[in-house]
Amino acid sequence: MKDPPFELNTVLSNLKDLEGSDLTAFDAVYLGNIYCRLYEQNFLERPDDLKQGILRVKAAGKKAYVSTYAAPRNSFLPKLRKVLEVAHSVPADAVEVHNLGVLRMAHEEFPDLKVHIGGMANVYTDAGASVLKQYGAERVTPNYELSLDEIRELTRASELPAEILVHGKMPLGISDHCFLLDYEEKWGIQCPTLCQLPLFVKKDGWAMRSAGKGIMSGKDVCMLEHLPSLLDAGHRVFRIEAAYETAVYRREVAQVYREALELALTGEPYKIDERWWEVIRAHAHIGLCNGFYFGRTGMDYLDASSPAIASFLGREVAAD
Amino acid sequence: MSKVALLAPAGSLEAADVAFDSGADLIYVGLKGWSRGGYRGELTRDEFTQCLAHAKRQGKRVWLAANIIPKPKERAELLRRLADLTASGLEGVIVNDLGFLREVRRVFPDLFVSASIGCGAMNLEDVRFYEAQGAGAVVLPANLEPEEVAAIKSKTTIQVELMAHMVEQFIQLGKCFMPSYLHFRPTDREEVGLRLTGSVKRGGVGVCFRVCQEPWELSDGDRVREQLLFPSRQLSRLVDLGEFLDAGVDIVKLQGRSLPPELIAPLVRRYRSAIAHWENGERDWVPPEPPVLPPMWTMVGR
Repeated sequence: MKDPPFELNTVLSNLKDLEGSDLTAFDAVYLGNIYCRLYEQNFLERPDDLKQGILRVKAAGKKAYVSTYAAPRNSFLPKLRKVLEVAHSVPADAVEVHNLGVLRMAHEEFPDLKVHIGGMANVYTDAGASVLKQYGAERVTPNYELSLDEIRELTRASELPAEILVHGKMPLGISDHCFLLDYEEKWGIQCPTLCQLPLFVKKDGWAMRSAGKGIMSGKDVCMLEHLPSLLDAGHRVFRIEAAYETAVYRREVAQVYREALELALTGEPYKIDERWWEVIRAHAHIGLCNGFYFGRTGMDYLDASSPAIASFLGREVAAD
Repeated sequence: MSKVALLAPAGSLEAADVAFDSGADLIYVGLKGWSRGGYRGELTRDEFTQCLAHAKRQGKRVWLAANIIPKPKERAELLRRLADLTASGLEGVIVNDLGFLREVRRVFPDLFVSASIGCGAMNLEDVRFYEAQGAGAVVLPANLEPEEVAAIKSKTTIQVELMAHMVEQFIQLGKCFMPSYLHFRPTDREEVGLRLTGSVKRGGVGVCFRVCQEPWELSDGDRVREQLLFPSRQLSRLVDLGEFLDAGVDIVKLQGRSLPPELIAPLVRRYRSAIAHWENGERDWVPPEPPVLPPMWTMVGR
């Protein structure tokens, strides 16, 4: 079977999300919530669900990957070993690891399991990527703080392909504690639905999405305008980070990116359809940013080619 | 059984002297522009030489916190500086980046390498990973429990450092990218060139500006539910230090290169005393001072 020209993927935390999501526009799905063992019906705590999830994604003709906890303590390891066993036996198409201990476990105990390195694994340089390659890594999400120039250098020198977050909430940190649990009683909302509220921490013009243990960008990273240059740079794997979003978000945003990537690959002039902007705008409650891809503050948005998006961002578009 | 070592921070020559006088076996220092502490709390090359001389006179050791993540083009420069310092008597280096760890092992096979707390090791498999990479020690955070350390020590031979006194920020050290999301700027630094303000993990300049210590509003949609600071707490495992030592901790490490000498002294003395009591077999010894230290002791740079 011929490989598709690019891969658009996303991540889903549980069977409920998988069942409720239209995955038509995706080529691959990561299964599992990397932040929290208590996340509602987390695939990573339910081997049977995980197995079913992998089978369903594969039956839909897509690649099924299994994600793993970003910051596990000793007590997580038996469950993680079980997760790797399931990924290996069904099998999943790869596991994503953010923790080097889990990488070692996968490499030693399941050597033929394919490994992707996740964005919380802190790969900043080709030197780091090369070490991970010796542990069987076949793909790496460089640390989100890297610019596209740095990513290009990393992939060139390490000869590892990069996965690029093109849209959604960029992970900004992980905690060992969930501070939301302090509010269970006061708010009358219990874990595990607490972190599924649209929670943001805000200060002046700043906002970040809080998921209790995990914290993410408040703005949606949006690389819609830059897809041709990402393709030119040789990138082929793109992620929509939408673990804490709605099924509608996943479906509509993915559809936009699929159409846009397909257009960009034709080599025809790349013009962003106004309909695409409408979808992006409707889902970006805080705003849009480019992450660190242009070597700037993560919440900045570099430029805006379209008047509609410029006005959404509160900017003026330079006259031609 | 080898002797437990007490590893203290030193952000200045004076702090280094005080740390040694107060009972530290070894200290860690940063070199201006090349550690994660920022310029504050780093030594010049000359101060480093003096520091080494002071240590040697007392039969003590100095480690270098080279815990930035050097960009590819900075790597050679940092290795050159390490060669210079090693020739002057540097015995150990603390690194933060896996790729750089491997480089250091390759170029300086005899130099002791410790995997910094920024490496994020928390579980047995992490420690095994760093052991396989040739690290001599790995730092574990103080939020682990003695049983976790015991489980790790029972399956590994690498030395374990416990960061027994530290501030646990809400977001784990080495896994926090909030500052750069909010404010990130290339800054030209004399001596070392362009560095990135706001990138905590990469380090090297002005680094973290503590957004987690700012007052935030927590809102649910448009509704403001809480005013909050991200919870951070001082961890001080003085009271149960004996249990950690029983579990096999080899090195007791203290955080705080930006602490002034007058705070370094009592901090180091307390831990020295706790180690001494444990070594004397006084299993039920409790420290006379309260385990929680004054708030100003938590104003540490790492």
